[in-house]
Amino acid sequence: MARVVILGAGISGHTAALHLRRMLGKEHEVVVVSPNSRWNWIPSNIWVGVGKMTTEQVTFPLAPIYARKGIHFHQALAVALHPEGNAEQPRPHVAITSTEPGHTGEPGVLTYDYLINATGPKLNFAATPGLGPDGHTVSVCTPSHANEAAEALKQVIKRLDSGERQTLVVGVGHGTCTCEGAAFEYAFNVEHELRRAGVRDRADVVYLTNENELGDFGVGGMTFTQRGFQTTSKMWTESLFRERGVRAITQAHVAKIEPGVIHYEQVDGTTSTLPFDFAMLLPPFRGADLTAFDAAGEDITASMFAPSGFMKVDADYTPKPHADWRATDWPSTYQTPAYPNVFGVGIAFAPPHQISPPRTSPNGTVIAPAPPRTGMPSGIMGRTVARTIADRIRDGASAPASTASMAAMGAACVASAGTGLRKGTAAAMTMFPVVPDFQTYPETGRNAKDTYGEIGLAGHWIKALLHHLFIYKANAQPGWFLIPE
Amino acid sequence: MDHADAAVAAAPLPTPKTIRSRTNLPVQAWRFVAINLRMAKIIRKGHR
Repeated sequence: MARVVILGAGISGHTAALHLRRMLGKEHEVVVVSPNSRWNWIPSNIWVGVGKMTTEQVTFPLAPIYARKGIHFHQALAVALHPEGNAEQPRPHVAITSTEPGHTGEPGVLTYDYLINATGPKLNFAATPGLGPDGHTVSVCTPSHANEAAEALKQVIKRLDSGERQTLVVGVGHGTCTCEGAAFEYAFNVEHELRRAGVRDRADVVYLTNENELGDFGVGGMTFTQRGFQTTSKMWTESLFRERGVRAITQAHVAKIEPGVIHYEQVDGTTSTLPFDFAMLLPPFRGADLTAFDAAGEDITASMFAPSGFMKVDADYTPKPHADWRATDWPSTYQTPAYPNVFGVGIAFAPPHQISPPRTSPNGTVIAPAPPRTGMPSGIMGRTVARTIADRIRDGASAPASTASMAAMGAACVASAGTGLRKGTAAAMTMFPVVPDFQTYPETGRNAKDTYGEIGLAGHWIKALLHHLFIYKANAQPGWFLIPE
Repeated sequence: MDHADAAVAAAPLPTPKTIRSRTNLPVQAWRFVAINLRMAKIIRKGHR
């Protein structure tokens, strides 16, 4: 009888848990540890953020799903890994602290045969003074944050309606942020709502980003073929900004935020201020606050985790200049080097480096979008590691690992530009592979036929469909596993 | 003026016809099918 413990119930962790339960016999245990009691379809949080969806529409309780599927669920925070066991408990185990109401703070220990770290990001608002809901800006990273953002936006629209001018800033709040696609979505959804409310002419909408140029999205941009011409995602995105009258400030690191003022530095070293009435700036990510100890109780956190807090897996972490980056630097099995029964997936694994070229200002400020791990790759990683573990439980620990490198998989992304069954639009994009492979595709790093983008109502329909499909899938409804990641 | 402003000002501007086609129901119904077929190909490649 084997026990698989999964830390985190986001897209990666929840996908891994459901697949493992499906792949393994009942004699084996599947255990999920998550501090949150509800699953969240994060891509729709931006719609909560403009008041077009409620938190109930983007979340559901996890416990009933897990109970129905025979998955053990602990509402708890994982705090420490003991991959070699210790004096008190010789089996590999993870220390947890309950977050369940009525039991908050109660410690626990879960032994495991296999462990999947799918803890996702820690929202590091503290990296920028004044950033976040406890500071002077709103966020759409969680449903409750997004609710607050919607309320703040409502107040802005009231002021605009009364004749006041307002400046709305949307973007990222640090030079090393990721999720520029989400910031782009929120910017254009806000702009769409301002037009719908009839107040657009009194609003200045500014997109503030760490991307070197528009259309980078943290993946180094893309090259599309449209109507017989190669065009860049830079030009394609700039076109939308021009069409909608959204101003852009690129190459920016937000240094601090005071009430109504953003202080930022750009890669050429110039510092500026940007007054605002409403600002949604995403935070940079860190890994979850996990520590690790060996059998003797010595702290091995630095060997298992990068300084960013993300877990080191089978990637090439050798420091190297951008010119020497290779697709083969990226992990494929997500297995930790020292412990073959421990895996890190989704946002929890440490990337070897960025995808977009990093830049540093003359003042030494790093302005470098972190690589995105979006829903599709994250779900695929979760399922792939589940398959590896199921194979090893069935066939022995030496069974080969399944692979899913971001340099060998594609992604389909849909970035909403405004809701509405008849008037909504979205940018539907595909790219293959996610991480450019210039050895295989010397011209652009990606397969030209599979890298594509278009804007239209069809994209909005697809994003709405994905919302319902993935909530159906995550609810483990009949045939859920037929819906691909 | 940020350097991005100059790039945005020089970016291609869609014509009114192009903008209308983005929310034209028959056009977008076909685009819905076409985009889904593209995405299905990407999904198949990622699920080997």
